[in-house]
Amino acid sequence: MNKELEHSFVEQLQKHQNIVHKVCRLYTDNADAHNDLFQEITIQLWRAYPKFRGDSKFSTWMYRVGLNTAITLYRKSKRRVKTQAFDSVQFKIKADAYDDTEEEQLKLMYNAIRQLNDIDKALVFLYLEDKNYKEISETLGISEVNARVKMNRVKKKLKTILNP
Amino acid sequence: MDELDLLKQDWNKDHSDYKNYEAPEIYSLLHKKSSSIVKTLFYISVAELVFWVLISYVPYFCSDSMKQRLEESYENPWFVGLTVLGFVVIAVFVYLLYSSYKSISTTDNVRRLMKRILRTRKVIKYYVLYNLIMIFISVPLSLYFEFEQNPVFHDEVEHMNNTQMMILLGVTIVVTAILVGLIWLFYRLLYGILLKRLNRNYEELKRFEV
Repeated sequence: MNKELEHSFVEQLQKHQNIVHKVCRLYTDNADAHNDLFQEITIQLWRAYPKFRGDSKFSTWMYRVGLNTAITLYRKSKRRVKTQAFDSVQFKIKADAYDDTEEEQLKLMYNAIRQLNDIDKALVFLYLEDKNYKEISETLGISEVNARVKMNRVKKKLKTILNP
Repeated sequence: MDELDLLKQDWNKDHSDYKNYEAPEIYSLLHKKSSSIVKTLFYISVAELVFWVLISYVPYFCSDSMKQRLEESYENPWFVGLTVLGFVVIAVFVYLLYSSYKSISTTDNVRRLMKRILRTRKVIKYYVLYNLIMIFISVPLSLYFEFEQNPVFHDEVEHMNNTQMMILLGVTIVVTAILVGLIWLFYRLLYGILLKRLNRNYEELKRFEV
């Protein structure tokens, strides 16, 4: 039974691992931290998996556990040595689809998002994942109206960071 | 174009530059140790329970004279009452801790998860506070029992004048207060550092709901 459970979990996670990577991308700023957080989210997902009933989509369920781990549960490891900066190594933004200005703009955007606080990052994450305000409010535990207002503030904050 | 919309386009692209975890790698991740804050909090709370229980009961097993004196003390119904109360309090705290740990779920929404972790931390805080108050009360109280039951100490105190007695009492209270204060400060620091980020994020969400 346990083996079966483990097998189905690994299979689903492998399929949806990009969601975890995306959470890690916003909440960490170097490759080691990214891998650390990926590991912690995987552990938390696996622990919560026996209670996963399948009444929501696996991916939706992953958003919650992933964000909860990144925002609340994860403790940054002290022993980690800071290594190379992100965008230059692991997440090279592909140049083929954009011209140089757009590429530069994207880099600036990612850097700006990393300067936001943990809650604002979660809002951006859910927005980028195309979640509606109802889903955003349910994931964060705030009202729909407040989720909307807060999202607008986050957009303003990003603008200020980008155009000081 | 809105910058966020530009980002959205990039975001939803297939990022093949993420490291692709193969099944065997994921299997091995499942058995790695978690470094979650809840786990750390759990270890601290268990350590605290054990620590305070040991502090209270180890002298009984370590020193024969202490054992003898404690056994004599059990003739006093007040002392028996206090000991029973002590056990009841421990049982209540163990139960509260257990139930608040059980209520922590990673599939809750972000705000409720934080609230439940902070509630667990509060249970530990009250347990520490209870112990510190007990220390603060028991030091002058044991001084009083010593005066009542130990003839040598009784004679010494009786020969003191009022000023000397006041000094003895004052020094006892001040030393106990400093000791208790230091332990409290240590806890504030420990939890302050451990839960700084959580508190900040929780305040951020709460602020928005008011």
